Amino acid sequence: MDLSACDVLVVGGGGAGLRAAIAVAETHPNLRVAVISKVYPMRSHTVSAEGGAAAVIKPGDSLEEHAYDTISGGDWLCDQDAVEAFVREAPAEMLRLEHWGCPWNREPDGSIAVRPFGGMKAQRTWFAADKTGFHMLHTLFQTTLKYDVIQRYDEFFVTKLLVDEGRCQGVVAIELGTGKIHAITAKAVILCTGGCGKVFPFTTNANIKNGDGMALAYRAGAPLKDMEFVQYHPTGLPFTGILITEAARSEGGWLLNKDGYRYLQDYDLGKPEPRPVLRSMELGPRDRLSQAFVKEQEKGRTLEGPYGHYVHLDLRHLGEKLIDKKLPFVRELCLKYVGIDPVKEMIPVRPVVHYMMGGVSTDIDGATPLPGLYAAGEVACVSINGANRLGSNSLPECLVFGARAGKVAAAFAAELKAPSPSVLTQAHDEERRLEEKFRRGRGAKERIATLRAEMHETMEESAGIYRNGPALQKAADKLRSLQERFRHLTLDDHSYTFNTEQTAALELSYMLDVAETIVQSALQRTESRGSHQRTDYPERDDKNFLGHALAYRAEDGPPRIEWVPVTITRWPPGQRVYGR
Amino acid sequence: MNLTLRVWRQKNAHARGRFVTYEARNVSPDMSFLEMLDVVNEELIGREQEPIAFEHDCREGICGACGFMINGIAHGPKRGTTVCQLHLRTFRDGDHLTLEPWRAKAFPVIKDLVVDRGAFDRIIQAGGFISAPAGAAPDANAILVPKEDVELAFDAAACIGCGACVAACPNASAMLFTAAKVSHLGLLPQGQPERNDRVRNMVAAMDREMFGGCTNMGECQAVCPKEITIAFIARLNHDLLAASFKGRKPPRTAASP
Repeated sequence: MDLSACDVLVVGGGGAGLRAAIAVAETHPNLRVAVISKVYPMRSHTVSAEGGAAAVIKPGDSLEEHAYDTISGGDWLCDQDAVEAFVREAPAEMLRLEHWGCPWNREPDGSIAVRPFGGMKAQRTWFAADKTGFHMLHTLFQTTLKYDVIQRYDEFFVTKLLVDEGRCQGVVAIELGTGKIHAITAKAVILCTGGCGKVFPFTTNANIKNGDGMALAYRAGAPLKDMEFVQYHPTGLPFTGILITEAARSEGGWLLNKDGYRYLQDYDLGKPEPRPVLRSMELGPRDRLSQAFVKEQEKGRTLEGPYGHYVHLDLRHLGEKLIDKKLPFVRELCLKYVGIDPVKEMIPVRPVVHYMMGGVSTDIDGATPLPGLYAAGEVACVSINGANRLGSNSLPECLVFGARAGKVAAAFAAELKAPSPSVLTQAHDEERRLEEKFRRGRGAKERIATLRAEMHETMEESAGIYRNGPALQKAADKLRSLQERFRHLTLDDHSYTFNTEQTAALELSYMLDVAETIVQSALQRTESRGSHQRTDYPERDDKNFLGHALAYRAEDGPPRIEWVPVTITRWPPGQRVYGR
Repeated sequence: MNLTLRVWRQKNAHARGRFVTYEARNVSPDMSFLEMLDVVNEELIGREQEPIAFEHDCREGICGACGFMINGIAHGPKRGTTVCQLHLRTFRDGDHLTLEPWRAKAFPVIKDLVVDRGAFDRIIQAGGFISAPAGAAPDANAILVPKEDVELAFDAAACIGCGACVAACPNASAMLFTAAKVSHLGLLPQGQPERNDRVRNMVAAMDREMFGGCTNMGECQAVCPKEITIAFIARLNHDLLAASFKGRKPPRTAASP
């Protein structure tokens, strides 16, 4: 086993992770920072974010309005102190990125350009065409390269958090290129590993999004919060699940059913206008739009193709010039993956799993209940997204809370002495587990692909856009049995260089843990709120459920759920109104 | 459809590589090239053989992870695509395809089709960032940026760092990559204070990494999945020339032409 040490260890090299690393290097230049990532940082999933990043910049807009849009969009499950900090710090973070070289789109007069976005009452979404995440990630990556104190561990896969004396003191990781096992000790660990879309069969998420950080924290004893809230993005391409950005609708795209009718008008989302209207119709929140699709399908008004039901996203009236300037990637994706040109044809779309509102429970500074462990970005639940995230809030969330977690973790690490040598005993135990379980396991009969397919099927049937008690209970039982069967996994690949089968097995074990927390939280929340819709409990129930579900790992059996109240500062729970 | 693949197999950086022939049977023309390789790998695993290692991540052409040579062309025969965006409908049933990793001294092979592109990082590290202090700046709108400058910077910044330009170049030059990085920051106001040092240092880093010199072959722009043009190389050369008149010593070796 290879040993190394650092002061602050960041797991994940996407938007939140790189921002956190920069924050540590800036505020405490004498600390050694390590960024450990299972992919080369520029391949992190932030790169796929398309539409933009919300921050108040234009005259006439206000922080209060951004906060209200976020809170009502989240169906009042957001912690309002966190939202207030978020909207306040987002503009400064966006400016920093500008100064670091991010090519934000500009208005003809040279000022920052913004576009409208779903659920937002004002235009406040900054963008770099429809490759916003790509440009943000590259800017952050290039900026990390100027700090010598930031050391990178690319293509290292973390298998365990080391916890001793009640605090997190490092990780064990496999170096994928060589198969060598490393113990890296640290005074503070920041998880920035993103979401877990791959728990579901049909998702916009990349193959690397397996809930790694969520499962690592959960196994170390930290709770996962609000895991029942899974965002379906209303416009994904059938079959591939590739995302067609919300910006396509904010620039004026229409959603049409099989009769060419803008069906959203039937779902209390406003009246159809030729031009986009803020917080109305196609610019409603994602949960409501995805739910409308299911209702349309039930009415038999969707189209059916080889890859299931779909509706049309019509951009033809926007014209080639606008599409090429503002939505070049949408055109590229449609041309290359579906073989259609959105300038001339309608795009087939359907809802697709996109984002986890829930995650590792943190406070407003990204600190988890486990000392020394921090989390930021999609892996975390602060929570600013509540029961439904608004489009273009997640990129600034990575920046604001990545920076906050970095600063606080650095201050924590600066006060501490080196980790105790006893953590290494744990690291050796983990090395043995990996060797026995994943390198020599033979003779058993279960296959990764079978278990994964059964998990996918279970999640799609029980934890989709609409849910009900019996289906969730059945899923909870099924996931228990999958956990049991996972113990009998057989692996054929015993090589050390890029052993993808071993990685897939470890990822599957993470996904099974995360799937259980999603299903168990959904089972116990007997109300409908935001993206969590129970057909057996169709109403929102503020009396009993204006709170966050915390899922704790139980020794043997399904996760244990505890409840904590939502923080309300200035906006008492009200009705969500769109298009009126 | 069926395809015959001749694939470069190399156990690790030190081992000798060789071509091994595989059959991809009954694959759908709607599959992407990488999905076809997934199918081949599933079969190999089923037969207890080592799967073919290749890099991939987002599979929508934006992350820059994937890339290898198909019949001698970086990212395959279609223009402006990465291999993950390349679909089997581009090929004919029964085609024979040769798959090789990027070949360049600066990109050592790690395994099969995977190469080490760390040299690109070290070029960026030599100056591809902005270090002017930015803490208390009042407002992005305090400095207005001409729309056309941003759009040009944007075109340069579209580089995904895949390395196809190097693989396609007969000299294995990294000029298109370096030019894209230099131009992106050089076109924006916040990139001006370090403009001269940046171009000098990044070109010097490129030479240190043993990339070849540019001789205006244009192969790089033909394979670039983001269709970045060699006009940016001209811009780099212009900046490098201008920088060489300003104070500091020119870099150890000059970039050509």
